[in-house]
Amino acid sequence: MILEILRMALDSLTTSKMRSFLSMLGIIIGVAAVIAIVSVGSGAQSQVTSQISALGSNIINIGPGITRGRSGRLSFTATDVFTMELAEQILRNCPSLARITPNVQTSGILIAGDINYQTTTVGVTPAYQEIVEYYPVRGQFINAEHEANATNVMVLGAKLAEELFPGQDPLGQRVKLFARNRKLLFVVIGVMEEKGTGAIGNLDNQAFIPASVLLKKINNRKYVSGYTAQARSSETAKTAVAEVEYFLTRYLLDTDKFNISSQEQILATISEVTATLSLMLGGIAGISLLVGGIGIMNIMLVSVTERTREIGIRKALGAKRKHIMAQFMIESLAMSGFGGLIGIIFGWLGALAVAKVGGWPLVVTHTSVLVAFSFSLLVGLFFGLYPAQKAAKLDPVIALSYE
Amino acid sequence: MLIQAEHLQKTYHMGAVKVEALKDASFQIAAGEFVAIIGPSGSGKSTLMHILGCLDRPTAGRYLLDGHDMSRASDNQLAEIRNKKIGFVFQQFNLLPKATILQNVCLPLIYAGLRGRRKQQQLARQALEMVGLGERLHHRPNEISGGQKQRVAIARALINNPALLLADEPTGNLDTKTGQEIMKTFHRLNQEGHTIILVTHDPEIAAQARRIIQIRDGLIQRDEVIA
Repeated sequence: MILEILRMALDSLTTSKMRSFLSMLGIIIGVAAVIAIVSVGSGAQSQVTSQISALGSNIINIGPGITRGRSGRLSFTATDVFTMELAEQILRNCPSLARITPNVQTSGILIAGDINYQTTTVGVTPAYQEIVEYYPVRGQFINAEHEANATNVMVLGAKLAEELFPGQDPLGQRVKLFARNRKLLFVVIGVMEEKGTGAIGNLDNQAFIPASVLLKKINNRKYVSGYTAQARSSETAKTAVAEVEYFLTRYLLDTDKFNISSQEQILATISEVTATLSLMLGGIAGISLLVGGIGIMNIMLVSVTERTREIGIRKALGAKRKHIMAQFMIESLAMSGFGGLIGIIFGWLGALAVAKVGGWPLVVTHTSVLVAFSFSLLVGLFFGLYPAQKAAKLDPVIALSYE
Repeated sequence: MLIQAEHLQKTYHMGAVKVEALKDASFQIAAGEFVAIIGPSGSGKSTLMHILGCLDRPTAGRYLLDGHDMSRASDNQLAEIRNKKIGFVFQQFNLLPKATILQNVCLPLIYAGLRGRRKQQQLARQALEMVGLGERLHHRPNEISGGQKQRVAIARALINNPALLLADEPTGNLDTKTGQEIMKTFHRLNQEGHTIILVTHDPEIAAQARRIIQIRDGLIQRDEVIA
């Protein structure tokens, strides 16, 4: 019997295809929007997360404190606190830290032969490669001796090496660096692997020199803008943050002068923000599902009125309330369910398109598909109930005489 | 007795106006009879037909069909009785326009809960052959003539082997010749043992029955056996 009623319901839907499609449109758009938005949200999130993870693991950033200036403006406090010596002290006093490297860089022009290249030059210590998980493919990286002696050696990013020395071996070549009105000659000792664009810019375009060279010979000051430290493991990351905080508070006697943020915290904040955004946008898309449901109810009510006589005939032939009820419920469920399926396809295609443009992986979770689809069925169930009940309750005598 | 109507009464409320469609109707009909209920429009014959057909309940009085009191039955019980014991033939044919002939005839079987499409269609074919329709079974109602439509309706009415065939102006939308053919079908069905109640305002059609119950102003005016 259910099968027969199902067939009757589907027959009536297919006989007015255009109308069925139009009434399904709301559901289609709603489901597609929910799936696409949630997918775009998680795609963007996974991209940002992977960019941040690409910076290395268990990273703790130590930087200048943020204070609220006049008229609510945020500003960084003076940074004349972070020295190379302080970095060593932090490392010594915080047993959960594995290594630390200063953050110091300058922008300048690199010259090799007749090629000029404007880029960022980063002052590094040997620990930099382990922290950022970024290693040379050729030659070597800045070592402790270079750093201690402030030797004029340079390691090039993969793309930078190609720009400066097209078709040549950069190792052993000389590069001039113009920065802050100073001119220095470096010897290239290594070329880094390709890393691509990440959250801290494109490393492939940058040059790396010993931090001591940058501080003493170019910046001519002993302060760096902050440190990047790495905890021994993800388990000790939280402890490490606490240790650094404790040490710096005691050392600087002013918690406003520094700010510590762990990668974990940043990731948590980002996931929180994107999750909230996805939820909000998904909620807005959910409203269109609701509107779609009202559209279905509307068309079902019209259909009940139009088919009053049919209902009368069916009742005269022995259809009980439950039969009429089932017939109209199945119709609205079929509409919302089928609309949901089409919506899933469109939503998936939309998410695919946005992922292609945004350059992140397509993430369509089972949960979002399942939630959107069951929500569309629920909408069909809910909004189909009233029209179906109205149809089932019709008086057969009145329904039969309906013109 | 197949039908026992005892002081049937039906009152409608149309706003503040009370309409007594049926005031007091009592009669009995035995199985195998061919009865015409005749009366002008507004006489209460439609109301009587609705009650006899279990589409409606009387306001007062008792209606026994096959010994069971239908006056106090629930909607679902009435639906079941309509399905199993009553076959309707309407003036407007009342076929579902979007369903094929075969599907239309199968409909009461579906509501009776008979499983199996093949079995349903086999029964439907048999019923259609009984009324002289053997082809165009996959056509829709608007593709066949009025007389054919009424035969389809009769086949549909017969398919669950009802105790009572209830025809409401079955020839009203047909020309005289086709109407006569339909009447012949009714005669044949009556001879085969079917109980038939024919509701009409046309004395000529009524005269073809074996018994006439005349109704006027909600009261039975005449009840006599002819021929």
